Amino acid sequence: MVAEYIDAADREARRRALSVFRERFKEIYKQIKMGENPFLMLPKRTLSNTIYDEKRKLLLLGPEKLKRSFFDLHESKKFMQTLLMARIIYEALERDEYPTIRDLYYRGKHTILYRDPSTGRRYEENTWDEQRESDAVIRDIEVFTGLLREEMLILSKEKGKVVGNMRIRSGNDIIDLSRMGHGAYAIEPTPDLIEFIDVDAEFVLVVEKDAVFQQLHRIGFWRKHKAILITSAGQPDRATRRFLRRLNEELKLPVYILTDADPYGWYIYSVFRIGSITLSYESERLATPEARFIGVSMTDIFGDKKTGKKPYLTEQERRNYIIKAKDADIKRAYELMNYRWFQTEKWKREIEIFLDKKSKLEIEALTSKGLRFLADKYLPEKIETGDWIS
Amino acid sequence: MPRRKRRASRTRSTATTASRGSVEVSEADVSFRSMTPSQFFYEYREVAGFGSPSRALYQTVRELVENALDATDVHGILPDIYVAIERLPENPNYYRVTVEDNGIGIDPKHVPYAFGQVLYSSKYRLRQARGRFGLGAKMAILYGQIKTGRPVEVYTSPLRSRKVYFFKIMIDIEKNQPIVLARGEFPNPSRWHGTRVSVVIEGDWPRARHRVYMYMQRTAIAAPYANITFIDPDGNITVYSRKIRKLPPKPKEVKPHPHGVDIELLKQLIKKSGASTLFEFLIEAFQGVGKKTAKSFLEFAGLEENLDPHKLSDKQLEHLARKLREFPKFRSPSADALSPFGPDIIEAGLRAILKPEFVVAVTRRPRAYEGHPFIVEVGIAYGGEIPVSNEPMLLRYANKIPLLYDEKADVAWKVVDPNNFDWKSYLVNFPAPIAVLTHIASTKVPYKGVGKESVADVPEIEQELRNALREAVRRLRDYLLKKLREEEARKRIATFMKYTPEVAKSLATILGPMGVKEEEVREMLLVAMKRRLGLSEDEFSKLVEGLEVSIEE
Ligand SMILES: Nc1ncnc2c1ncn2[C@@H]1O[C@H](COP(=O)(O)OP(=O)(O)OP(=O)(O)O)[C@@H](O)[C@H]1O
Ligand SMILES: [Mg+2]
Repeated sequence: MVAEYIDAADREARRRALSVFRERFKEIYKQIKMGENPFLMLPKRTLSNTIYDEKRKLLLLGPEKLKRSFFDLHESKKFMQTLLMARIIYEALERDEYPTIRDLYYRGKHTILYRDPSTGRRYEENTWDEQRESDAVIRDIEVFTGLLREEMLILSKEKGKVVGNMRIRSGNDIIDLSRMGHGAYAIEPTPDLIEFIDVDAEFVLVVEKDAVFQQLHRIGFWRKHKAILITSAGQPDRATRRFLRRLNEELKLPVYILTDADPYGWYIYSVFRIGSITLSYESERLATPEARFIGVSMTDIFGDKKTGKKPYLTEQERRNYIIKAKDADIKRAYELMNYRWFQTEKWKREIEIFLDKKSKLEIEALTSKGLRFLADKYLPEKIETGDWIS
Repeated sequence: MPRRKRRASRTRSTATTASRGSVEVSEADVSFRSMTPSQFFYEYREVAGFGSPSRALYQTVRELVENALDATDVHGILPDIYVAIERLPENPNYYRVTVEDNGIGIDPKHVPYAFGQVLYSSKYRLRQARGRFGLGAKMAILYGQIKTGRPVEVYTSPLRSRKVYFFKIMIDIEKNQPIVLARGEFPNPSRWHGTRVSVVIEGDWPRARHRVYMYMQRTAIAAPYANITFIDPDGNITVYSRKIRKLPPKPKEVKPHPHGVDIELLKQLIKKSGASTLFEFLIEAFQGVGKKTAKSFLEFAGLEENLDPHKLSDKQLEHLARKLREFPKFRSPSADALSPFGPDIIEAGLRAILKPEFVVAVTRRPRAYEGHPFIVEVGIAYGGEIPVSNEPMLLRYANKIPLLYDEKADVAWKVVDPNNFDWKSYLVNFPAPIAVLTHIASTKVPYKGVGKESVADVPEIEQELRNALREAVRRLRDYLLKKLREEEARKRIATFMKYTPEVAKSLATILGPMGVKEEEVREMLLVAMKRRLGLSEDEFSKLVEGLEVSIEE
């Protein structure tokens, strides 16, 4: 790679990451030099060690630490894997590369040959076998160094897309997100390196489904309603979450999330807002605690006698669009009930109705009723009247 | 002893009088006869193990081999024993069993009786030997004689004898007397000593084969100080060569212990004794009884010390015998008459034959039951070539004789049975490769039946067996524990060594700009590893010897 094509933001990120690596791993070297059992002190990444921060409305890593020692039969391999991964990432940073996690998996995968002296037998062992293992140590390095993978210039597949009346700088280019034609801007894996230039919008709408995103884009929803329109195309990746967070935090735009009406959709919302359980260490930077769940909600489908809310669907439409919930959905709903951030009045009501009716609904049902209905009635009306859940 | 001799009458009483409704016993209904011992054993040969041709073949080998060992190790001679079974050409069911030893030999004047008169023995003495009854050799001879009509052939030369004597003997069963068919003498310039006995019997090798081989193997385990050569009817030669030059201690003859006395024995002892007072008699006839003990016993029994033992009434005799058994202050029975193997011999035997990875043996201190001294020994062999099994392989011995039949009825099985003994807590988890040898040495082994095949569960013996087993198996546990720890250490080292190159390389890469070198980190990791494992330089290099690690990138 030729240095002059690389922008300053990348170069700065690399320089910082390299120096953090040296600082952190110098500690391990010191332990070894003292003849000690070298160890990595890592926060535990388990559900029991995630804490819901009531004030900041974030899912954070708890105080429990894990001491991963090299001279511990059960930790030794993980210790080696962690150092091996650190080395590969370090080398990639030094060489101005942008590896994906798949690349890192392949680069680190090799065979250790050894001969057991007591049996005389020869064995082969891989440094790791599945990407699951190498992914896990990437997470460990993130918490150990305090650097997110984006900050280490590790790329992942771009999944999130955005359109809207907004201009940004990415690398050396200025991109106008209102001039993407029928397409959209794919949110880059390192959204921290994006610079916001100017924006003319009143809110952000995130749509779980890519197809619905495209429909809304084609009929000019974002132009008419002054919105930044985003899709996560299913479970949001880290870049989409970080990008959304920045829109909310730095540009002070309210954020609305539109998902299917089922526990899976609720969980997508929860990941945007609170953070994911396996990756709770990144919540502080990725979560958007202000995000609002706009729908589709159970009360949109069935109305609510308690509050007098009228349903958006007629009896006939419900019969046509509603899908029977599966056992897995029910199970998931019970799980969500345990999470603190689902224990608000409105969420309890949602889950209650769901468990009562054992029914779910896809966003597409609303576009079937009429795309205009979704774009010009349902969404604006709900934003207007504050009919969302947080 | 005068004996009424009469032909064995086959007539039986008939119940001719029963129909008359009254019981009247007439002369003709009941007939009496006496038997000579040879007649008795001729009729009841299965009692002595000669019930079938296959059993007889095994029993013959056994009786002759045991006599050979009695003639050697008991007398301080390292045994060289040769055993051959040949199939005779004239009849495929006839086998010649020949056993030769380098023992003390037999004085020619005793030879006809030793081999031609049932219940003639040199071992009717209070000291441990394999033989006991004066029966074994004669049963084989008698069996051969009635089945094949062949006499026994004996060559023998006593220690330092200038001649080798030769005999052909049969037994006059009716009279229980030897019939010497031939005798001869040869010069013995090399001063060979020992005995060679040959009998021809009817046998069944295919069926006896397994037992005979098992017997030979068990015998070899218990006699690693012997050279034993065995040739079977198919010409296969097995040689068990000497593994150790140490012999078990020689048993000494002892006087009876007062606790083991009954009225009959008491009468016999008095008859033999020339003592004129009870006081003298006690000191003379019993082991471990001195003046002080004799005095305090007589006080305890309430008997006058000047009583003439020869003039005691039946009532007095009964009283004396009972008090002798009850008096608590006699010294415990002497173990001088016993000849245990000792741990060295047991370990050598187990090691040589079973080829285990670990052996241990324990010889307990002497103890006594009912006035009979006994010593219990236990050996354990573990791993190596021992097959894995759901229960321990049990090798039972009594007075150095292997016991092969009725294992599950034996007190030793009761003790080692995994249902009774907590093997697990000694790190033995079945299925496991383990053999347990038990030896009971006593002037009186309490066999369960006349067959000399299993030992009864006398509480004292059972207790000692259990103690011995515990003592031995504790050492096995120590060994297994050490092995486990070593295995663990080896596993750890292998793991750490395996990953060391990667760790060193990674640190050297990341900290390269600060001058950290891969080789240096590797060295330092080794130092830290040794420290972590608490291993010395020697132990460490022993464990890593031959460990190779390389990385394929
Ligand atoms: N190989 C031998 N060498 C020396 N003496 C022998 C030998 N074989 C037999 N004898 C003598 O012959 C005697 C009789 O032997 P036999 O086997 O009949 O009876 P035992 O050994 O005394 O008792 P058991 O009936 O228990 O075997 C022995 O006591 C011993 O004195
Ligand atoms: Mg004998």
